[in-house]
Amino acid sequence: MISSSNTLTKIFKFLAYFFIIMFFLFPILWIFMMSFMTNDEILRKVPTIIFSPTFENYIALLKGKINTPAGVMDVFYMQNILNSFILSSCSVLLTLILGIPAAYAFARYKFKGGEDIAFTILSFKFAPALLIIIPLNLYFTKLGLYDSYFALVWVYQLITLPLLLWIVRGYFEDVSEDIEHAYRLDGHSWFKSFWKISIPLARPGIAASSLICFIFAWNNFVFALILGSSSIQPVTVGALSFITASAIPYGLIAAGIVLSVIPTLTLALIIQKYLVEGLSLGAVKG
Amino acid sequence: MSYLEIKNINKRFKDDIVFDDVSLSVNKGEFFVVFGPSGSGKTVLLRLLSGIMSQDSGQIFMDGVCIDDLDPNERDISMAFQNFALYPHMDAFENIASPLIAQKTSPDEIKKRVQEVAELLKIDHVLSHKPKELSNGQKQRTSLARSLVVRPSVVLLDDPLRNVDAKIRYEMRLELPKVLKEFNTTVIYVTQDYKEAMALGERVGVLANSNFTDVDHPTHVYKKPNNITSAKLFGDPTINVLNASNISSGDLSTITASKITIESNNPNLKNQRDLFLGIRPEDIQISNQAHEGAIKVELRAKTPLNLRTVYLLRFEDGVEVLASASEEESLLIDDQKDFYIRFDNSNLNFFDQSESLIQ
Amino acid sequence: MAKLIINNLNKVFSVKFGKNVHAVKDFNLNLEDGEILALLGSSGCGKTTTLRIVAGFESPTSGEIRFDDRDMIALPPSKRNVAMAFEGYALYPPLTVKDNISFGLMREKLSKSEIEKKVKEITELLEITDILHRYPSTVSGGQAQRVSLARALVRTSDILLLDEPMSQLEPQLRAVLRARVKDYIQHNNKTSVFVTHDQTEAIALADKIAVMEGGELQQLASPYDIRVKPQNVFVASFIGEPPMNMLNAVYQDEGDKINFLIKNENNENAFTLSYNKTSIDQSKIINLQNNQNLVIGIRPQKINFDSTDVNHNANISLTSNHWLGDQIHLGFELNGINIIGVADRNFSVSNSMKINFASSSINAFDSSSQKVIFNGF
Repeated sequence: MISSSNTLTKIFKFLAYFFIIMFFLFPILWIFMMSFMTNDEILRKVPTIIFSPTFENYIALLKGKINTPAGVMDVFYMQNILNSFILSSCSVLLTLILGIPAAYAFARYKFKGGEDIAFTILSFKFAPALLIIIPLNLYFTKLGLYDSYFALVWVYQLITLPLLLWIVRGYFEDVSEDIEHAYRLDGHSWFKSFWKISIPLARPGIAASSLICFIFAWNNFVFALILGSSSIQPVTVGALSFITASAIPYGLIAAGIVLSVIPTLTLALIIQKYLVEGLSLGAVKG
Repeated sequence: MSYLEIKNINKRFKDDIVFDDVSLSVNKGEFFVVFGPSGSGKTVLLRLLSGIMSQDSGQIFMDGVCIDDLDPNERDISMAFQNFALYPHMDAFENIASPLIAQKTSPDEIKKRVQEVAELLKIDHVLSHKPKELSNGQKQRTSLARSLVVRPSVVLLDDPLRNVDAKIRYEMRLELPKVLKEFNTTVIYVTQDYKEAMALGERVGVLANSNFTDVDHPTHVYKKPNNITSAKLFGDPTINVLNASNISSGDLSTITASKITIESNNPNLKNQRDLFLGIRPEDIQISNQAHEGAIKVELRAKTPLNLRTVYLLRFEDGVEVLASASEEESLLIDDQKDFYIRFDNSNLNFFDQSESLIQ
Repeated sequence: MAKLIINNLNKVFSVKFGKNVHAVKDFNLNLEDGEILALLGSSGCGKTTTLRIVAGFESPTSGEIRFDDRDMIALPPSKRNVAMAFEGYALYPPLTVKDNISFGLMREKLSKSEIEKKVKEITELLEITDILHRYPSTVSGGQAQRVSLARALVRTSDILLLDEPMSQLEPQLRAVLRARVKDYIQHNNKTSVFVTHDQTEAIALADKIAVMEGGELQQLASPYDIRVKPQNVFVASFIGEPPMNMLNAVYQDEGDKINFLIKNENNENAFTLSYNKTSIDQSKIINLQNNQNLVIGIRPQKINFDSTDVNHNANISLTSNHWLGDQIHLGFELNGINIIGVADRNFSVSNSMKINFASSSINAFDSSSQKVIFNGF
């Protein structure tokens, strides 16, 4: 590995980075731009970068009324965003309550069948939602749970719980057991040790997996589509309603997408500081 | 009855037997050293005493009371871990204060006690630092402070000087006993370094082969180890153990090992035909001259060891021995000339076929 | 089997949001064919970085590295013909111990029987013949380290590089394995560089020792010279077990004799060491100024316990007495100053012992520059 102070290589590296980043970022940039364009501008034969921005798409969504050639339509997109937020937050909360102790158990206690159980839970993520959607629909309806937040939050656990379990388990395994032992020998109870030592030290993992679980729950489409009706629909399903027989309001959809990204983005920015690794470096040698 | 008593402890992990019917008595206020190679179970012993782990069978008594059913936080025992085990998200002060908080001590009292012990261990100037800002020596002292601040009846020290630089290690070896005396506590000190055991312990227990092979004053273990394992563990360079054969007539035994002949009047040697001869490197005399009784050997390598010199020598039959000489002595030896060695009989030990010492 | 030449080696690590770390500062070295060098220092001193640069795993910021006259800077590790034993062993998990050791030999186009012979020799030397058919995950740390060492030693290479090669060895094996490894390396005339923080190991194995601290070479000398002629306070206090006694002192020229006023931690006079000018080598003290601040270093093993004359005015009290089998470590207090001495194992310790500090045992260092003024006089 010869470190190159070669100018040519430097230029080449810069260009490579630029193109790779553009490749991934470009669609996002385009959508952001589209949200400020009218449908006519979007559908022009030759796409332009220079245009005069308009807020009409955002206003329409926020007000809940859009002007279409067929007349004024009511949209409940903001309600969809709220639903997404409620569903994702509750799912993550439930997953935290169930998953963190479970992750600790798997990390610390080696019991018979433990690995099998852990793997079974992980396997829930392998199965496509379509495989189980019909049976789920049938018995949720029988249980009277169709179209309730409770049902979706419950089903979302299939997505979020394995994720949190496996990520946080790894973090608990990285916390030296001796630190917990030392705290117990100081005179504290097991629960205090779990609450004041184990959890804080696994915080980066808990923060990271909470964020990922939130995003996965937010992005879910199939469960929300089948197991709920319009009153609890999240944005993933709600966005469908824009597509009508008469026209596809791209600008509106783009604005909708931008609005739907904001909660998750905000959460990510808040959680970012808890993702700092290396909190436990230096406390234990080696 | 002694203060800390371990009775018939058995502990195994799957096929690995760590303790086989182990018993030990430690007196109140004693500084007891547990010495053994890595993997011998020293840390397991400490975990059993502290309650972090349970034994398969057997009992542990403290001051006459059986403590087996007590959780770690209920036993009056503290421990300083080998890898420090400091709480990384708390500063040094909070680390040391932790046991006092568990006992619901008042904040003023906590401040006083932590300050006291920090001054004694010379870390009062870094109390506001987090573990990652402390040097290894400071971390070790913080860990020690935390284990001593509640003035426990028993304190367990798990090889505390292992992860500390050589220079600081020597200083602390001298300082630790003085500090611990201030706390008037019973100490179980675990180490892999026999020199530490010899310098620190009033009594040392040598842990090997699932049990204590020797429990005695370190000097005695060095001079008269109970078996070959203890003999090899105590001493650097390691003791030479040679295969020997013995011919006895009456009370006189003539033992031969690689052409070296030793005579002994020890009646216990009478019936031993094949045995082991243990001789420490410092008891082998080297010379360029073929004195009476000296055997010719070949010099294979010479390595200095802290002002002594260690010689790797080989007999004609291929058997290797290590001999050591002081700096003055080694200056008188010419490496280019022939080498002859003699054994100093006064510190020899013989071991029987089962590797036990022949008294 | 090649000469190793390092000229003005520098390595700077740029840290994104922090200051740059100048890990290796202007390192120079000339190692002859077949010589063994120890890079000795505490963690973070730059010794491992230097080794990795020689191996080719790091590229230097500036400087030159040559094996004989071949420039190595542009070559990747695989083309440098170095054999290396890593601190983390780095054994190949899917191969048995035996295959791990023979792996490097297969590149050398040796016959199967030759490989067998070489592997047999080195595994007998390092006492790992009983684990040849085991896999790396099933052997102990000490055993894995020996396998890693065997793998590096058995190859024919220009340079042999060892990173903390014996740190995890079982203590009772250390003395004999050190001797055997030294014998093997010397026998095969391998130019070797090894990194260690254990000065005992450095002194035992090396022909030359390079003491490093803070990226800088403190002293490059033979084990004997490092011990007997340390060039600065750092080297003097790093080498030796027990460590050298270091005392703060002020030099005084009193006409026909000279004095060292030994100071305690409050900078008050604790006691005085006096020497008649006629009994010392005056050329050594020529550059000393009256009232100069010095650091005096005295090796524990060089303190006299059997001399009848006493060249100091301190009251001695014995504070500790440790019999360690082949030697005795004694702790004294001389008017409040703690001193450690080492005596022969048969020495009879008494509370009324006399101590004498021979002029040949006194090392003097300038207090501000920390550099040596003389090693004995």
